Amino acid sequence: MNPLHKELANAVVAMDEERAVAAANRVVAEGLDPYLAITEGLSAGMRKVGELYDSGEYFVPEILICSDAMNAAIAVLKPHIKADATRKPVKVILGVIEGDIHDIGKNIVKILLDAAGYEVIDLGRNVTAERFVEAARAAGGGIIGLSSLMSTTLENMARVVRGLKEAGLRGDFRVMIGGASASARFAAEIDADGFGRNAKEAVELADRLSRSLPCARTQ
Amino acid sequence: MRQDTMTPKERFTAFLTGKPMDRFLCVPLILNHAARVNGVKVGAYNRDGRLMGQCHADAWRRYGHDLIAIFSDTAILAEAMGTGLDFQEDDVPLVERPAVSIPGDLSRLVTTQAHTLGRLPLFIEAVRVAVAAVGSEVPVSCCVPAPFTTAACLRGTDQFARDLIRNRVLALKLLKLSTATACDFANDILDAGGIPVVVDPVATGSVLSLRMFEEFAQPCLKELHGAISRRGCPAVLHICGQTSRILDAMVGTNANLLSLDDISMAEARDRVGGRIGLMGNVRPTQTLLKGNAEDVTREVRTLCDIGRGCARGFILGSGCEVPIATASRNIDAMMSAVQEYGQMK
Repeated sequence: MNPLHKELANAVVAMDEERAVAAANRVVAEGLDPYLAITEGLSAGMRKVGELYDSGEYFVPEILICSDAMNAAIAVLKPHIKADATRKPVKVILGVIEGDIHDIGKNIVKILLDAAGYEVIDLGRNVTAERFVEAARAAGGGIIGLSSLMSTTLENMARVVRGLKEAGLRGDFRVMIGGASASARFAAEIDADGFGRNAKEAVELADRLSRSLPCARTQ
Repeated sequence: MRQDTMTPKERFTAFLTGKPMDRFLCVPLILNHAARVNGVKVGAYNRDGRLMGQCHADAWRRYGHDLIAIFSDTAILAEAMGTGLDFQEDDVPLVERPAVSIPGDLSRLVTTQAHTLGRLPLFIEAVRVAVAAVGSEVPVSCCVPAPFTTAACLRGTDQFARDLIRNRVLALKLLKLSTATACDFANDILDAGGIPVVVDPVATGSVLSLRMFEEFAQPCLKELHGAISRRGCPAVLHICGQTSRILDAMVGTNANLLSLDDISMAEARDRVGGRIGLMGNVRPTQTLLKGNAEDVTREVRTLCDIGRGCARGFILGSGCEVPIATASRNIDAMMSAVQEYGQMK
């Protein structure tokens, strides 16, 4: 691993924004590839943060500070990325389903998806099925992530999948669901493509699902 | 079917004084579901104290549960102190504009007499209405959002979570002000003849580490529980979600009773049941909302078996709020199952 990439990763894990920004500035000064610094350095750090969350060492406050450090470094690197060097990222439309306002889990998933290189379109909480379908139409293709803590809202997840089918968009999207009230069985029942138990699984699932997306739509 | 021989009030008094009871107390946390019982929209219920109190009295007449719990949402103290909410027609309101979205807003926070502002007087009215209607037979409680949860609603949860690491001074100030308002509100509930039940959904083990719970949430809970205990009332603490990591620290808040959600009750009994009363934890969504009457009965029976081993007392409860759309037959099944299987020995 390039020592500067390692330093970027370590700074993110250490919640040290100043260190992350300093390392990003060195990447620019030394003329290293800023895109690689993000994917190999900062994202690697956030993957480690995801693992620490999974194992119960980091919690919500720690993750937020780590992601702040990452974003501060990205802000330094981004202007130096050449347009042709950027792979067009897969879009993920993310939201807490209508009827539910618990968005802490969704926010963590958003941070980790961002870090993993996805373009996250965050619709927020209490999002209607119609708004998901609208956003899907605008995005053209990608992944839709539905979150729900309260089981009262599960039916609304099914409505999103139905809405995509009716709009003729189902084939362009992979639908993943998460949250305390959902399950793999429920995902199968409503014809979603997968269920993630936690934020780490959500990213792994997105990686898996994005490989099965129609290529023309994701490039 | 066995018949009850005590009223909820007699049973509750016996529980508090360690006297014999005919069965375990049964407390499905019927909160916003009370609006459903007589067909009122949640958005009307949570803005009208008289209606709210009537809904809870009616819900009790319908189900006969052992504790009325008046509640709308956990932002009510923050709302009184300046946070703006977005009200829904038939659901709980959402935090829309946190009062302290930038640290400089701290000076604009309402800190004097906040307990008389916002919707807080409406909850006191609801307590009075319910006490007047059915208080001779059933105890009436009202939820008090804990300081940690209120501070998160004042600042926005994400920002407050960052403050715990980046701006401890601000976090501690918000907690101090929230604690003062919570103590005032708890006293108002007691004055109205109600029992304050402290709820701290944000300080749950899935959001916070044990160290942060001990540093930020526990001291304020201690102070609030102390204020309630000094009035001769037991301190009840409910924290939603996964609380296994913080269970001992919850005991350390000097509560008398812990209401638990997503944790094995057998584990809780073995770890802390010798030091504190426990309440819980029929699964609200999987069992009460999505299950059938047999699922409810089976779970209640298992919990009663565990409860008989709780040295400091056990109350059969729901893990968290009974979902608004729960079928009445499942709540009935919960009550019947406790009558059938909830004998103390």
